[in-house]
Amino acid sequence: MWNKIKTIGGIILISALLLALFIPSSKENNDGKIYIRYWYVTGAKEQIPYHVKKFNEIQNRIVVEPTALPWNEHEKKILTAILSEDPPDVINLVTPVAKWASRMALTPLDELIKKDSFDTSIFFPALWNEMNWQKKIFALPLYSNSYAFFYNKKLFREAGLNPEKPPSTWQEVKDFAKELTGRNSQNRFTQMGFIPQYGNLQTSILMAWQLGADFLLNDKKVDINNPMVIEAVTWEVNYYDDYSLKEVSSFMAGFGYADQHGFISEKVAMMVLDNTFIDQIKLYNPNLDYGVSVIPTFDGYETASSSGSWWAAIPRGSKNIDAAWEFLKFAVQEETQLEESASQQEILFPANQLAANDPSFIKGNEKIKTLVDMMEYAHSPTIVPLVHDIFWREFLSAREKTLHKIQKPEDALKQAEDVIQNQLDQAIEYDTYVRSKMNFGSLSD
Amino acid sequence: MNTFIENKKPKANYGKQTFTGYLFASPWIIGFLIFGLYPIGISFYYSLCQYDVLRIPQFIGLRNYEQLLFSDNYFWLSIWNTLFYTALRVPLCIAGSLLLAVLVNNAVRGVKIFRTIYFIPSIVTGVVLSALWLWILNPQYGLINSSIAYLGVQGPLWLLDPDWSKPSMVLMSLWSIGGGRMLVFLAALQGIPQHLYEVVEMDGGGWWAKFKNVTVPMISPVIFLWTILEVIFSLQVFVEAYVMTKGGPLNSTLFYNLYLYNRAFEDFDMGYASALAWLLLLITLGITALQFRLSKKWVHY
Amino acid sequence: MNNSKRKISLKNIAALVLLIVFALFFILPFLWIISTSLKGDTQIFTIPPQWIPDTFNWENYAKVFDRMPFLIYLKNSVFITLFIIIGTVFSSSLVAYAFGCLNWRGRNGLFIFVLATMMLPLQVTLIPLFVLFKEIGWLNTFKPLIIPAFFGGGAFNIFLLRQFFLTIPKDLLDSARIDGCSELGIYWKIVLPLAKPALATVAILTFMFSWNDFISPLIYLSDKMKGTLALGLGMFVGQYVTEWAILMAASLLMMLPMILIFFFFQKYFIQGFTMSGLKE
Repeated sequence: MWNKIKTIGGIILISALLLALFIPSSKENNDGKIYIRYWYVTGAKEQIPYHVKKFNEIQNRIVVEPTALPWNEHEKKILTAILSEDPPDVINLVTPVAKWASRMALTPLDELIKKDSFDTSIFFPALWNEMNWQKKIFALPLYSNSYAFFYNKKLFREAGLNPEKPPSTWQEVKDFAKELTGRNSQNRFTQMGFIPQYGNLQTSILMAWQLGADFLLNDKKVDINNPMVIEAVTWEVNYYDDYSLKEVSSFMAGFGYADQHGFISEKVAMMVLDNTFIDQIKLYNPNLDYGVSVIPTFDGYETASSSGSWWAAIPRGSKNIDAAWEFLKFAVQEETQLEESASQQEILFPANQLAANDPSFIKGNEKIKTLVDMMEYAHSPTIVPLVHDIFWREFLSAREKTLHKIQKPEDALKQAEDVIQNQLDQAIEYDTYVRSKMNFGSLSD
Repeated sequence: MNTFIENKKPKANYGKQTFTGYLFASPWIIGFLIFGLYPIGISFYYSLCQYDVLRIPQFIGLRNYEQLLFSDNYFWLSIWNTLFYTALRVPLCIAGSLLLAVLVNNAVRGVKIFRTIYFIPSIVTGVVLSALWLWILNPQYGLINSSIAYLGVQGPLWLLDPDWSKPSMVLMSLWSIGGGRMLVFLAALQGIPQHLYEVVEMDGGGWWAKFKNVTVPMISPVIFLWTILEVIFSLQVFVEAYVMTKGGPLNSTLFYNLYLYNRAFEDFDMGYASALAWLLLLITLGITALQFRLSKKWVHY
Repeated sequence: MNNSKRKISLKNIAALVLLIVFALFFILPFLWIISTSLKGDTQIFTIPPQWIPDTFNWENYAKVFDRMPFLIYLKNSVFITLFIIIGTVFSSSLVAYAFGCLNWRGRNGLFIFVLATMMLPLQVTLIPLFVLFKEIGWLNTFKPLIIPAFFGGGAFNIFLLRQFFLTIPKDLLDSARIDGCSELGIYWKIVLPLAKPALATVAILTFMFSWNDFISPLIYLSDKMKGTLALGLGMFVGQYVTEWAILMAASLLMMLPMILIFFFFQKYFIQGFTMSGLKE
């Protein structure tokens, strides 16, 4: 009896699964419009980008089909797509333009720019400088990030600090942090003042920039093992003389995103954060009493910040280049960027300077103004375009090693520098070889 | 007949069936040529090149191998990580599932229930397994740490602690495959003739003597086979690291295959990745050959 | 199997306790997963762990369908798995027939070689196959996943089926040959029907492997709509957000077919493992 039930059940199960084969997939389109596929990298939310919606609304000739790419695999997916010779028509990425351009994965835009007399000075210089490779333009910047120093005024008051006087040097940050640290009865952290390794912006790189480090000289020489970077990394290591690294890590393990974020949940009093947090705070903890100031720096040095660049380009092999170009132009123009920023849950920092400096973007908000101003000091995180991933991997690894006191800063950094330099040399060599053998970057590919 | 390979039949039947034999076996043979031999060969060529598939290969001789062996810390680290993982997982797996099989075999009642319960986790593999255990091992709120926190003990950081990350993955893996392996050994145990045990009993031996002198030798071919398979599987660990830790913390879970994948699909350095692949092949062959050598000492047929 | 004299000794109790401890080890994570999938966001982060959720948030399951194109992935997974099973069952049985029912020169040597290929790490062939499939235009299609299954179906399956075929009485085959039946006929009309249990086992093991396979879809597919369930689940464990409750719900949904198949076809699952444990 039981066996019979099992058999029948099994058959029903298999039939049900086979039914899945009849689930309809998206239909083909045959209405004479041009359909362009747009792949974009996404973070948490997957809302359809504003510029896509608006573009589809205001004209009828071209329809944009957006697809969000999860962060983890997006590069591989695009690689496979380009290799399958049926790539999307527009891609929106964050990884360095050079990574793709040097591999002939993108269509050069120079002729399109010339044809339409497109004004490229509208972009922030830090962003625009990343868009070219071997003297050709391959992408247009869409958005950026801007970073500033966020601090919790309420916690300041509770610790006896003046909420209107945020720290302006790193030493002050360190001192204030001591006052802002709290523990519970089991001696575990309930709040901390500042955690250098928490956050998107690498504190040591930021500090190195402030001290004047350049990392890459002449596009050829990697320079990491220098006093400025060493000082920056050492600062971070020394910060943990006052707190146990293990305890801090354990404390951080409880952080998450949105309302679980360390700063938003008021567990961390001071942080370098990007512009999206203005809206995140409004959304997840609107009563948070905080201020935004210029990023602290070392005594006597100018501050620095980082840009972040989302750019859009047309992959090689796209079959709808002109339509894609129309869409691109639309996405970066001032009006679109302003409207887009206004409509999003989180502020998207426009790459278009005109949009960023427009009063309707700043909305009389001091905090936003600070963020816009910080763009003046922004460095590009694409420090070594050709071997970007390797640079970051090596640097972060060196940093972790010094943080865990496995190696001295000089040694770890020298090791990283050697590896990166080696890889860079090979990449340049390969690039030269390839360009001598392949036809590089003509529009009529 | 307890031989691994069948005895040959008289030669008279050979010729007729030879053609048919190869014909029937041809799907595999063709498959091997296309999807096995050819890629292996080409892979070797790529390993001598700088190549990113988007552009043509540039022959660079043994530079990839030189770099691998002499100036690549990640290479050695990933070998260490993989070997550590293998050395931890295989003995625990074999010994553990053998122990379970012995226990279940001697259980008083309800063998079926235990057998089923132990086997259920086997259906959880790959991504799902990783997702589940990512949550179970969460240092703050996961099942393990929050339970023992109730008792006042602070649990380790598991996947976030460089010293615990590999053991965490071994634990997770044992949970998943322990049941299946137990079944294998259970079946083998049930094939051991009872009278052999009685002989040991008559000589005054207890359960350990029985185990050592009868159980293990009698099922040693099965243990051997699965040890080899487990080693091969362990050397190829990838999905867990890719989904859960991406090689961290501090590269403690940067396994060989993860490193290979990163070089191929993040750095787009296919040549280097091919060199890595070839070395893995050699290492696997080496370890397996070693195991065969050693097997003469303890495997009884 | 049981000894004729059996006393409930201390040893037996100890063994039983051990067995129960292990059983808990194997079962508890499951219950925890189910429990988490029904929790609201705030209940997940509690110390001590809460086993029974305060409210049964069934909408977590609905949210799964929002966050990923679950039905499309289901369809793709079914499609791919189905064809892989068909290819594997037929081609591995063909090859196993050659090794188990026919007698030919080089048979034993080749069989050992087939087994030896189980040692091949798939990383060695990964990149060249990627390039190969690119050259013939198969990238971003299901073909690289399905077609290889028709070429032998894997050494392990061949091994399993051969084990089984060896138990078929030679006389049966020989008398069919004398009657003038072709080898293909014998294969189709005699051996396959007899081998149904073994074939079922191969089918189920293949299902298990292919349903959960993450690596092949990861490598060969790029279009979002072409993903499989395994790939989709991987999307959830992303860099930015780990929504635990929905992730657990999604995992359970994906495991559901596996669990049900296990429930109904348990016999064949277990057979698969035990058959390789027998000393023949």
